[in-house]
Amino acid sequence: MADWISTFPLTQHILGFTKTQLCRVIHSGPVPEHIGFIMDGNRRFAKQHKIQLEEGHNAGFESMAKLLEVCYDCGVKSVSVFAFSIENFNRSNREIDWLMSLFKKKFKQVLEHGDLCETYGVKIRVVGNVKLLPKDVRQVLDEAEEMTKNNTRAILNVCAPYTSRDDMTHAIRNIVKEGIDSKDITEDTIGKHLYSGPVPKMELLIRTSNVYRLSDFMLWEVVDLDCDIEILDVLWPEFTPLRLIWILLKWGFNRTYYGHRTANLLNLNNGSDDDSHSTSSSTTSQSQLKKTT
Amino acid sequence: MSKEDLTSNEKIKLDPTVSPNKILINKHQEDSKEKIPLDSSSTPFEPIPAYHSGPVLASISNFFRLFVSPVTTTGDGSKNGFYGASNEARSGLARVSEGNNSGWSQIAVFYFYHTILTICFIFMSIYRLFEYLWNRSKLRFLNLAYSTSKTPSVIHGDINKLPKIPQRLSAILNFLPEQEEGGGIEGLCNSCSDLAAWSLSAGIPYLNIYEYHGVLKQSIPELRRAIHRKLVVYFGTNNVPTFKITVPHLNLSFYGAFDDEYDEDITTFDINISLLSNIDGRPTIVELTKVMSDLSKSGDLTEKDVTTDFIDRELEQLVGVEPDLIIVFQPFLNLQSYPPWHLRLSEMYWEPDNTDVTYAVFLRALQKFSTCKVNVGR
Repeated sequence: MADWISTFPLTQHILGFTKTQLCRVIHSGPVPEHIGFIMDGNRRFAKQHKIQLEEGHNAGFESMAKLLEVCYDCGVKSVSVFAFSIENFNRSNREIDWLMSLFKKKFKQVLEHGDLCETYGVKIRVVGNVKLLPKDVRQVLDEAEEMTKNNTRAILNVCAPYTSRDDMTHAIRNIVKEGIDSKDITEDTIGKHLYSGPVPKMELLIRTSNVYRLSDFMLWEVVDLDCDIEILDVLWPEFTPLRLIWILLKWGFNRTYYGHRTANLLNLNNGSDDDSHSTSSSTTSQSQLKKTT
Repeated sequence: MSKEDLTSNEKIKLDPTVSPNKILINKHQEDSKEKIPLDSSSTPFEPIPAYHSGPVLASISNFFRLFVSPVTTTGDGSKNGFYGASNEARSGLARVSEGNNSGWSQIAVFYFYHTILTICFIFMSIYRLFEYLWNRSKLRFLNLAYSTSKTPSVIHGDINKLPKIPQRLSAILNFLPEQEEGGGIEGLCNSCSDLAAWSLSAGIPYLNIYEYHGVLKQSIPELRRAIHRKLVVYFGTNNVPTFKITVPHLNLSFYGAFDDEYDEDITTFDINISLLSNIDGRPTIVELTKVMSDLSKSGDLTEKDVTTDFIDRELEQLVGVEPDLIIVFQPFLNLQSYPPWHLRLSEMYWEPDNTDVTYAVFLRALQKFSTCKVNVGR
């Protein structure tokens, strides 16, 4: 049915138009600053559709590109995608080789065309223990990082090969190495020494294929009080931009309707308190705003 | 009675030079000797329980404020650019004040989209109402359908059907204001003892209870009594299972309902309950880093020693082992600063719009867990 409708003229244009308009609508409200994606289900997708494993990964990449577009259209500042876990090195050699060549191919494409990076001003960063990657892949990734390093509007963290425990260990090791005075070590110090460095606080984590696990992805960031976790029952390649728009709308709605709901639940009254009562504080902040503008 | 506990614990002085975690635990104990009242007579810590002031009204006012001035809503006005597009409106305002005409159009466009968004949100609030009603009635039905009748054999029968159960269970509980149902310290102790009884009947030997403020750690006498009472209700007075409560942060252990209840030679307990709070999360990792950095300065530790395995070992000593299943007893999924290191492969479970600690949720979590397949990396 959907395929048949899409054969009509102009459907693609209308769809594209609706998508950008919806994104602009979302952009006018609260939007998470940093979204994390765990791309799960490429292989199951391949199995279900009886296609090659490699094709499954390819479909996953296509889906990622579409979703990133929506994210940046909606005004998300930073996106992290879990592309490859250190544990994934346990997979068959053939699949690893294929994944590496996919990385290389896609990053080269990005380097040559640079469409996503240029239109949205995306800075690509490779987050993780890069030393574990083969040399040629590393080189391409470095080039991509180098080429986009001056973009400032948005950040794309490609986590490969990454695990959060390795990340935290790396941060602690670097702090020990730098010999920072123990009085100056705070949560922020560790946060800054993580591979991802100073990025906005993660406020939404999306995991697909109905798995209720974090699988060692950004644990330090995800436990934050403001980070919501969304688990979807679709496989990653089936994750449509419309679905993402709905999730973002829901997130914005929850933020508006409930405020910082975890902080409220825990009776932590730092700043988030004044959205439930005390109109006086809101008027003062408004007047402050007027002063600043 | 608990004061004796403290002193008896002090007798077993740990050798501080052995490993970072021991230094840390010693330090924590030193710090908290005065702070934490382990006596039930002293007033317990209260994280200001307050009435929720009319959430519906507040939400409506939130909507209104979002509509009128998007920057100030949800108290995030100070945080720059939380509302990405509101910057547009602000820059528009700035341009207007400079006498530039394009500023007005910018504001107009922004408010056009913003109006649509507000209308969307109003429709969503209606949708949300129905969703809430649906979730609540589902939960009510489940609570009726699954009842423990306070007999372990019923629970055992439910659990026996499952192909696998977790060895280590973790529950995130919330301290509710005293005026609410299941609120106050008593409510929290009651939920805890329920969980302990269910876990015992299900055959889960390790139970972690996470509560953000650490209220439980400060009301251990009440907790011991509450658990004992509950176990008597479930298992009868003749064979009350043995239990042990540990506070890993302070390296304290409490055995049974009162001191010297068990013979000294008992080393295994039917259930091991460990109490965690906010401090066991990121702050513990920070403290560990501090100790390591000090040790490296004195030359006892080099950066090459800092490996994932090493930190894992240290944190296991400080906080405990990673749980297999985490049940979040709250209306939405959020991990509330749960120790990040200990979340790697844990299964999470929560029921939307659920606020209570009930057996139905517990059982459904175990049922979900039994169907999960963990394949690390493959």
